[in-house]
Amino acid sequence: MSRPRTIYLVDHACFKPPFTCRVPFSTFMEHSRLILREAPDSVEFQMRLLGRSGLGEETCLPPAIHYIPPTPTLEAARREAEMVISSALDSLFKQTGLKAKDIDILIVNCSLFSPTPSLSAMVVNKYKLRSNIKSFNLSGMGCSAGLISISLAQDLLEVHSNSNAVVVSTEIITPNYYQGKDKDKLLPNCLFRMGGAAILLSNRWSDRWRAKYRLVHVVRTHRGSDNEAYKCVFEEQDGEGKVGISLSKDLMKIAGSALERNITTLGPLVLPVSEQVMFVLNMIGRKFLKRQWNAYMPNFKRAFEHFCIHAGGRAVIDVLQKRLDLSDEHVEASRMTLHRFGNTSSSSLWYELSYIEAKGRMKKGDRVWQIAFGSGFKCNSAVWKCNRRIKTTITNSPWSDCIDRYPIDVPKVPIL
Amino acid sequence: MAEVNYICKRTVVSTKPVQPGKSHPLSVLDRLVEPSRHVMVVYYYRTDRSRERLGEVTQKLREGLAEVLTYFPPVTGRLVRTESRGSGEGGWSVKCNDAGVRMVEARAKGSVEDWLRNVDWEKEKRLIHWEEMYHKPYFWSTFYVQLTEFEGGGYAIGLSCSHLLSDPICATVLIKAWADVTLRGKMTSPPLFHQLPAHRPGSRTPNKDPFINLCSQRPTSTNQSATSSASVHGKHKTISLSFSDQMVRSCVASAQAHAGGPSPSPFEALAGLIWAVVSKIKGRRDGLVGLTMGLDIRKLLGLDDGFFGNCMVYSQIQPNSEENCLLAAAMAIREEKAKFEKEKVMDLIEWLEDNDGSKPTQQTLACSDLLCLNLESIDPRWAIFEDGSSPIQTSLYIEPTCDRGQFLVLPSPSEDGPLSRTVMIKLPRDEADKLLEDDLILQFAPTVLMGV
Repeated sequence: MSRPRTIYLVDHACFKPPFTCRVPFSTFMEHSRLILREAPDSVEFQMRLLGRSGLGEETCLPPAIHYIPPTPTLEAARREAEMVISSALDSLFKQTGLKAKDIDILIVNCSLFSPTPSLSAMVVNKYKLRSNIKSFNLSGMGCSAGLISISLAQDLLEVHSNSNAVVVSTEIITPNYYQGKDKDKLLPNCLFRMGGAAILLSNRWSDRWRAKYRLVHVVRTHRGSDNEAYKCVFEEQDGEGKVGISLSKDLMKIAGSALERNITTLGPLVLPVSEQVMFVLNMIGRKFLKRQWNAYMPNFKRAFEHFCIHAGGRAVIDVLQKRLDLSDEHVEASRMTLHRFGNTSSSSLWYELSYIEAKGRMKKGDRVWQIAFGSGFKCNSAVWKCNRRIKTTITNSPWSDCIDRYPIDVPKVPIL
Repeated sequence: MAEVNYICKRTVVSTKPVQPGKSHPLSVLDRLVEPSRHVMVVYYYRTDRSRERLGEVTQKLREGLAEVLTYFPPVTGRLVRTESRGSGEGGWSVKCNDAGVRMVEARAKGSVEDWLRNVDWEKEKRLIHWEEMYHKPYFWSTFYVQLTEFEGGGYAIGLSCSHLLSDPICATVLIKAWADVTLRGKMTSPPLFHQLPAHRPGSRTPNKDPFINLCSQRPTSTNQSATSSASVHGKHKTISLSFSDQMVRSCVASAQAHAGGPSPSPFEALAGLIWAVVSKIKGRRDGLVGLTMGLDIRKLLGLDDGFFGNCMVYSQIQPNSEENCLLAAAMAIREEKAKFEKEKVMDLIEWLEDNDGSKPTQQTLACSDLLCLNLESIDPRWAIFEDGSSPIQTSLYIEPTCDRGQFLVLPSPSEDGPLSRTVMIKLPRDEADKLLEDDLILQFAPTVLMGV
C-alpha cells in the first residue's frame, strides 16, 4: 500500500466585514422591537439571549438585514455571497500568489444558501477558472461543513497528484434571518454573523517549504442515527409559515456526547501512550468491572498546543473548556472570535487560527486541534501541524486593526 | 408633479463602538425646548448623471455618515429621563448607547433643477424623514437622514433632528463634519460636548433677576393645540426669498438712521424689513406686532465652532415705536441685540440652572408673537460633500410653526457676495400671498425660490 500523500495548508484568508455593517446591541434591540411589534416578550427573550451570547459590539450583519423591515431577497443573498467569497479569495490570491487558472479543485461549502447556479459556479464564473476544474458545492451540512470540505479536499488530493485545492467556507446570513416570534428559533438571529474563509491546500512537493501547516488527521463523527441528535438543530416553519432553525434544549448534552465519540477515534491517533493506557483502564473498570468511577477524560493538552473550538456560542465553548479541562488561554481564540466576529459558522475555525497567528503564539512544530459541531448532529476534528515559522505580521489578518485590544474579559451581561 | 419613491429605511451606526456607560447631559438651554420641536434642513446638489451612476452618491454619503457618527456619540444615543428633583417627571438626558440614526433612501423622477422650479413645503416634506417621539423614547431615533437621488441628475440631503439636542446651527455642525469626512477624510472642527460656560464660583450673585424678557421655546398650554392644528391643517405657506448682495446693501442703507451713523447689520435690516411688512399685512397700521427674536450666542460666550447643543436665546421685543417702517423695525432689533452681553447671558444661564427643578411657567413663548431667528452663522460652504459641488439651494424649517408665523435669516449658498441672504418665511396662507405683492419687498427685488 502506498504512503498517503502529505497535504499542506499553504495559507488561509478570512473575510473582514466592512464597519458599515456593524450591529451594536442597541440597534439590534430597536430593530427587533420594530419588527416584532406584536410580540414584546419574544423581543425581551431575544435581548436576554443576546446579552448572554458572548458577542461584542463589532459583529456584522449583511446590508439586507439592516433594513426596517429586513429585505432578504435572492438578489441580496447573492450580493452578500459575492462580497464575502470574493473578499476572502482576493486576499488568499494576494497572500499566496496563486493564479485563478492554476486552481485544480474547488470546494465551496455554505449550508443555508444554495442557489442555482451554485456558489462554486459563481466562483468559476467570477474568476474565470479552467473548464476542467473539479468543483464541488456542499450545502445543508451545517457549521461543521468546513472540516467536511477539508476532508473531501484531502481525499481528492490523495487521488490527484501534483494538485492544489481551494476550499471556501462561509454562511450566507441574508436569507436566514428568522422574522417570526417562536422562542426556540430566535437564538440563531443573536449568534450568526457575516463571515467567510478561503483556504489553499496542496499536495505539491514545491509547496512543502512555504506551507504554513500540514494536515495530520481528520476525524468525522455523525450522530444522525440517534433521533434526538438528528432533530436537535432543525430547520422548520413556525405557525405563521416563517422559516427558522429551532435549537433543542438538549443541544449541549448532544454536543458533549458527539465530542466523546469523536475523541474515542481521535484519542489513539494523537494522545501519548500513557494517556491512552489510562483511558483504556478507566473504560475497562467502568464497563466491565462495574466500578463507580467517573469517565476519564484524557489530557489533550499533552497532544496539542492550540485549540480552535467552533465559536458556536458561549455555552459551547464553556462546555468544552470544562470537559477537556482547558485553560482560559486555550479557549481564548474561540472566545475572542465569538466576541469580535460572532458565530460565522463553518469559517469560525479560520478566524480562530488567524487570532493565534496574529498573537504570535504559533511556533513551528505546534499541533492544532480544530473542533467543529453542526447540525446532523456532527462533530468533526482536524489536526494540523505547524510547518514553518509564522511571522507575526498581521497586515493580511482580519484581526489587523484590533488584535492589540484582545484578549478582553467578556461580561456575562453587557451594559445596554 | 415629480414622484418620490422610497427605497428603504435602515439604521446607520458609527464605525467604532461607543464606550459603554457614556451619557450626555442636556444643558439648561437644551431643556428649555419643547420636546415636540424639531429642526429640518434640506440641501440640494447637482450631479453629472453621465459620470455618476444612480446609487453611487448615496453609498458614499452613507459610508461618510457612518465614519462621522463615531465622533458624535450623543447623536447615536437615545433620550432617557433623569431622576426628578421636584414633583413630576425628571429632565432629559442622552444615553450614548450606540444605537445609530435612521436613514431613508429614496429616488425621485426628473432632475433636481426640475424639482426646484416649483418647490414648496409640501414637496420638500417628502425629502425629509421625521418621526414623532415614541411612547417609549428609548427606542426613538433623535436624528433622521434622507438621501434622495434624482434620476435626471442631482440629489438632496434631508436632515431632521430633535430640537432638544440641537438647534439649527448645531445641526449644520453635524452636516459640516459629515461633509468634511466624506470629502477629505477628516474634520476641520471636531465636535465638542461640554457644559455651557459658567461664572467662576464665588462671583455668582444669587437671586439676580434674569435677563429681561427672556423666554423659552415652550408655547403656552392654551396655544399649543392651536399651533399643532395650524400646522396640521396646512394653514401656513412657506416663502423663500433670496436677496442678492447688492440688494442687501441697499436694504442696509435704507435702514440706516442717518448718514454717518451706525450701519445696521444685514440681519437687522432684513429682519426689520420682514417685520415691518408682516406687521402691515397683519393689519397694524401704526407700530409693529410683537416679535420674538432668537439669536445665536456661541460667539458671545466664546464657544468653539464645534460646540454641540442648543445655544440660542430668545428675546421678546415689544416696540414702543408708533411707526410701521423698516427704519423703526431695524432700530428696535438693534437696540434689543445690544442688550445681549456676555455677562447678562451667563447670569441667565446661572438663573436657569438654579431654577431648573421647577417648570418655568413664566418663561413661555407667547405664540401671539411673530418668531424670527438669526441663523447667519451657518456657512453654506460647510455642506460641500463632493469636490467643487456646493449646494445650489438650502431650506431650513423649525416645526411645529408658530401660529402667527416665523422667519429665518440664513446666508445664501450662491457665490453672489458675502452679504447675500436667504429668508425663509412661514405665514398664514392669505398673509403669505400678500407679502409677495408688497411694494417694500419688491423694492429689493428678491428672487422667489419658493412660494410662487
